[in-house]
Amino acid sequence: MRITQGMISNNMLTNLTKSYSNLNKYMDQLNTGNKISKPSDNPFIAIKGMDYRTQLAQVEQYKSNTTEVDLWMDNSDSALDGVSSGLKRMQELAIQASNGTYSESERKNVLEEAKQIKADLISIANRKVNDRYIFNGTDTNHALITEDANGVVTVNSGQQPVKIHVADNIELQANVNGEKVFGGDFFKNIDGFIKALGDNNQADIEKGIDTLQANIDTVINQRADLGARMNRMDLIKNRLDSQEITAKDVMSKNEKVDYEKAITDLLTQETMHRAALAAGSRVIQPSLVDFLR
Amino acid sequence: MSTFHGLEMAKQALFTQQMGLYTTGHNLSNVNTEGFSRQRVNFEAMSPFPSASRNRPSIPGQLGTGVMAGTVQRIRDAFLDSQYRTQNSKTAYWDTRATSLNRMENLLNEIDETGLSKTMNDFMTALDALSTRPDNTGGREVAIQKGSIVAESFNHIANSLEQIQLDLKKQIGSLNAETGEYDGKIGDVNSLLRQINDLNKQIGEVEPLGYLPNDLYDRRDKLIDELSGIVNIKVDYETSGKGSLAIADGIAKITLADVKGNPITDSGGAPIALLKATDRSLADPEKELGKLTVSYNDVGAVTSIEFVKQGESSQKIEDMMAVDGSLKALIKSNGYVVGENGVDKVVGDFPETLSKLNKLAQNFALAFNKIHKEAKDANGENGMAFFTNGSKYDPANPNALETNITAFNISINQELSEHPDKLAISADGSAGDGQKALELAKMFSKALTAEDIGGAAGDPEPFGKGISVTGYFQQIISKMAVDTQEANRRLVNDGVLQQKIQNDRLSVSAVSIDEEMTNLLKFQHAYNASARSMTAMDEILDKIINSMGLVGR
Repeated sequence: MRITQGMISNNMLTNLTKSYSNLNKYMDQLNTGNKISKPSDNPFIAIKGMDYRTQLAQVEQYKSNTTEVDLWMDNSDSALDGVSSGLKRMQELAIQASNGTYSESERKNVLEEAKQIKADLISIANRKVNDRYIFNGTDTNHALITEDANGVVTVNSGQQPVKIHVADNIELQANVNGEKVFGGDFFKNIDGFIKALGDNNQADIEKGIDTLQANIDTVINQRADLGARMNRMDLIKNRLDSQEITAKDVMSKNEKVDYEKAITDLLTQETMHRAALAAGSRVIQPSLVDFLR
Repeated sequence: MSTFHGLEMAKQALFTQQMGLYTTGHNLSNVNTEGFSRQRVNFEAMSPFPSASRNRPSIPGQLGTGVMAGTVQRIRDAFLDSQYRTQNSKTAYWDTRATSLNRMENLLNEIDETGLSKTMNDFMTALDALSTRPDNTGGREVAIQKGSIVAESFNHIANSLEQIQLDLKKQIGSLNAETGEYDGKIGDVNSLLRQINDLNKQIGEVEPLGYLPNDLYDRRDKLIDELSGIVNIKVDYETSGKGSLAIADGIAKITLADVKGNPITDSGGAPIALLKATDRSLADPEKELGKLTVSYNDVGAVTSIEFVKQGESSQKIEDMMAVDGSLKALIKSNGYVVGENGVDKVVGDFPETLSKLNKLAQNFALAFNKIHKEAKDANGENGMAFFTNGSKYDPANPNALETNITAFNISINQELSEHPDKLAISADGSAGDGQKALELAKMFSKALTAEDIGGAAGDPEPFGKGISVTGYFQQIISKMAVDTQEANRRLVNDGVLQQKIQNDRLSVSAVSIDEEMTNLLKFQHAYNASARSMTAMDEILDKIINSMGLVGR
């Protein structure tokens, strides 16, 4: 084949352009840390990347949702703790007051304390966190308990559970159903005990020890239920942590550049480029003109 | 045998070698001229003396009478030219297509953190976050804002795609020739045909005189090369007249051709001849020469390409995709009309992507709105449409907001952006209930059914069976990415092939400086030698004239 100067310079230019475009590709990879910069570089990686990013965004959102669950659960737990210590104090009072040696005036004093404890229990049942009533289900704008002027207590019923999305298809109940704690005979038992104190009725006071124990049992049951859910929450949190790591890992394996490889590629390409330049400069320079007299 | 035979022969040789030197000089001057083919003087020995005739002198044998320049010919291979042109059409097709697809890809570059899928993810997580604190007014504002960013992203992508499409239409060209407005590739074809016709005319005038207009041939071939990049063509030649040499190229005739080189025909089966040999004798080629014209429908898709010539019935190209070249690439990206079962359908990269985006925007909006309208807002009332077609809310006709939502007009309900409390995220209306916000967030990745967008049960799924909003968007991206990847790859492959053919062509036609220098020496030596022979003749004649017959005086 007949080769001319023009062909040699054309070919050299084409090869140099190709070499530059490869250099550019590896530089891009090293600078951005990404294997690809456009979907068409590798459609498969690009589409998988879109999926992984959605997954990661979801996991991160779940993690941030768990803080909300913690807020609900910790507040509910400390509230229930307050309820049970109030009830225990009241039961102690019942045991003291059921003592036959207690005089009427002494029982009056006990009565005052019992009333205070009742008021305290009501305030716990109507506790607000972040301006939300925590025991009234999803109806967070309204208090669980209303007390009329005569001290008659009404407990709302039919609360909807507050559910929070913490994992794919898992919506964990974050609240404690107020009706299950404070509903039923809860205030009837307390009011019965207070009335017995007021009436100075030793037999009824003695009965109060048992009925208050029933209240304590209810609270303990609810706390146990809450505790079980808190444990589940911890498990989910651990899982979310490892899910996040996995998602990030898979994502980086999919689209992040392998630096050792990219640097080696770049160096190889650079060597080839230098060789091409050196060869080109030698071939292009001389022609017969240089050697004729 | 004449006394001056030797002198005459040396003079002839001097002239001929000089011609060789001049041609070498011409080649060297044009070493960097694109499209130039090296030229050679075809040296021929002159007819010997004496010729066979009755009154021939009786000398022993025929005597050579020297050299003459037969013709000056360019060195070129017509077969390589036709190979180059077919390949050029393919390369130009992929080049142009890759360019327009890359422009689309820049818009839909979902790799970086700014794409539509990123805004969708943001919106989705904002809704999910809101479901944990439904009574948080700040969270509502955030969710509405993120929703509005999604809508704006749709608008931006759709408008930019439309802008590029308009630009593609300008590159295809035609129509507004009067106002001087865009006359793209179609105009280029017509202008090239006119220039080739001009050269045909000049060549037709020179060739019958027995000359080879090499430089006109080169110019014509270059124009034909250029034309082959726009449309695939077949070139035939016809002799220009009686006096033309056998090695003369003749008059070029150009017909549209398909990939295999077969002529493209109109509906009647007649080949579409862009340029005929007779066209060179037209009185007013500007007017009478045939032209390609393009017509569009109301949405800017190409309906037909026709070849129109004065005094002849116009010829419509049956299958626009049969003619390779950059014109085809532009038409394919811009969109064109095909009749399918008697119904006209617009196909092409940009219109298809746009219609898919519209479908995505519409069904996403409808599915979102359906859940939103079932939910209760902060005031316990049912939600209104979240995404609208941008029209103003009219209490008398609330459904008008949702008709014909497209990627161009999708926007969020004005009422909502003004009153965040109207964002409906609760199932039962209680303040702490965010179940519907969760449902909205889950809708993005849920396989949509006809009921999800307010259709009847059993109707076909909006995106096809089992495909969600995010899934459908991924489909759009992957189709585009695969198309672009193919175009880029084919561009490289076809570019290599073209380079190979171009090298073959250069191998035959290109000027080599070393070779020309060698020729220069060759001719120079021959020139010197001829001059020497003339000097010898001179000495002989001097002897005859001045010294002969003096007999030693």
